[in-house]
Amino acid sequence: MIDPRSAYIIRRERRWRLISFLTILSFSFALILLIKGLLASTVLAFVIAYLFAPIVDFLERKGVSRSVATLIPFLAGGFALGIGLTLILPLIVEQLQGLVEKLPRYQQDLAAHIAGLETKYHVYIKAGDFNPSQQLSEWMIQKTADVSVALPSVVSQSFTVLLLAPFFAFFMLQDGNSVARSILSYVPNQLFEIAVNLRHQINDQMGGFIRARFLEAAIVGAVVWIGLQILNFPYATVLAIFAGAMNLIPYVGPIIGAVPAVLIALVSSEASVDSTQTVTLILVSSVYFLAQLIDVVFVIPLVVAKIVDMHPVTVVIMIIAGAEVGGILGMMISVPVASAAKLTFSAVHSHLTNFRD
Amino acid sequence: MNYIWDNIFRKTTDQNVFSILRDSYLFSDLSDSEVRFVERCVHVRHYQSGESVFRQGEVGVGMYLIAKGRVEIFFIDSAATSEENREIYVTQLLAGDFFGELSLVEENGRRTATAVAREEALLIGFFKPDLMEILSRRPAMGTKITLRLAEVLGRRLKETTEKVSELRRVLKELRTPPDRHEADSLVQPPFPPKGAP
Repeated sequence: MIDPRSAYIIRRERRWRLISFLTILSFSFALILLIKGLLASTVLAFVIAYLFAPIVDFLERKGVSRSVATLIPFLAGGFALGIGLTLILPLIVEQLQGLVEKLPRYQQDLAAHIAGLETKYHVYIKAGDFNPSQQLSEWMIQKTADVSVALPSVVSQSFTVLLLAPFFAFFMLQDGNSVARSILSYVPNQLFEIAVNLRHQINDQMGGFIRARFLEAAIVGAVVWIGLQILNFPYATVLAIFAGAMNLIPYVGPIIGAVPAVLIALVSSEASVDSTQTVTLILVSSVYFLAQLIDVVFVIPLVVAKIVDMHPVTVVIMIIAGAEVGGILGMMISVPVASAAKLTFSAVHSHLTNFRD
Repeated sequence: MNYIWDNIFRKTTDQNVFSILRDSYLFSDLSDSEVRFVERCVHVRHYQSGESVFRQGEVGVGMYLIAKGRVEIFFIDSAATSEENREIYVTQLLAGDFFGELSLVEENGRRTATAVAREEALLIGFFKPDLMEILSRRPAMGTKITLRLAEVLGRRLKETTEKVSELRRVLKELRTPPDRHEADSLVQPPFPPKGAP
């Protein structure tokens, strides 16, 4: 039997440890959320760290020291990015410039298209002040103005994020385990094993999830690019990069990714020189559909074990909640964050309830 | 207040952890630099006298090496009729001993006994994620540890088999009815009846 004095000391030590641990966690989260740009930098740093971790481990297995093994993918990544940007950036800039120049025309075409639809189906539209074409024009003018106002701060913030993220990622790969170990040392004894296990499981799941999503995005982007090139569709590179990036958002991402191409096909008469507008629209939609088909039939089954198991309804709710809290970034991180929360809950629940065999 | 801070932020000297790992059977095949690597993977934990390290039925994640203090192992017999027979003492472990190593190889295995610190104890926790990390980053080192671990588990299995065989033999002896002659001698009164020659 344990004497009352020891029981008191144990309780007190556990309580202080828990308070210290929760304070450290809360303080870290508050810091990340309150300092502008730190959330995006941290998320991107985690993404880079998870993408590079297998390479660093592989190099370490080959006998390279951890520091050098960490440095190599960063140098190689920086070099590849430099080469890639040198080759692709002029093309992207050219396509973006073309898109910006033609945007007012697309806007007019789209408004005209909707106006045509309004005239055609005016009998079904009962509301007196409902004028989609005008509303769309106003909305687009407003959004364009918003973008031009927000652009300088977005660019400077992105620059900070792009500088900070690799810096954080480097130290996460280099010293991440010792930092985690130091934080874990404050966990009370009775929760320590579960915390160690949970950290390992979340780490494993996040790594698998992020690598799988990036693989999917790359494959979808590549398929869209090849398909649009074959169709001789304008802005193929920009649209493929956009489709790939949007594919990182589960469920709704592929639809958002296809919207610009579908809109361009819908309003542009020069989309394809030898096909009618409807055929172009069908062909462009087919390219996006094919990309999703390849993703669903080949990519997901191969990496499905690494993607978190969550109900589609839960995923959509999480994405909506993520969009409300953190915009596009919130949409992208909502699912891994929700899956980590689910894992934590089930591990704690199992620890507390399934105590005995 | 100092007492609390002393307890919570207690640090053990690296030298102490290193020498304990160095002397442990599990890491005896490793070089000094490899032991240093293990040292960066393990977790040093402090336990008060009477504090349980883990309890029977909990999901086990790894093993503990005793750096300082004394740990007792108990088996909780849920079928026991009385409260005093519920807790069955198994063994007492001292500095240098390790326990809970089965959890390093089991998938979501439950602890088969309860471990309680019997005086202020300093334990070095070595868990499955740590072993996985070593295997992933330094496979040669991980293999050396895993081989030693397999040896320890094999030895424990052998000891358990011997004990089970011994218990079965005793049980069989208790169940088998003694033969007639033996039975007669057993029931023979200590003193011959009156009138007997």
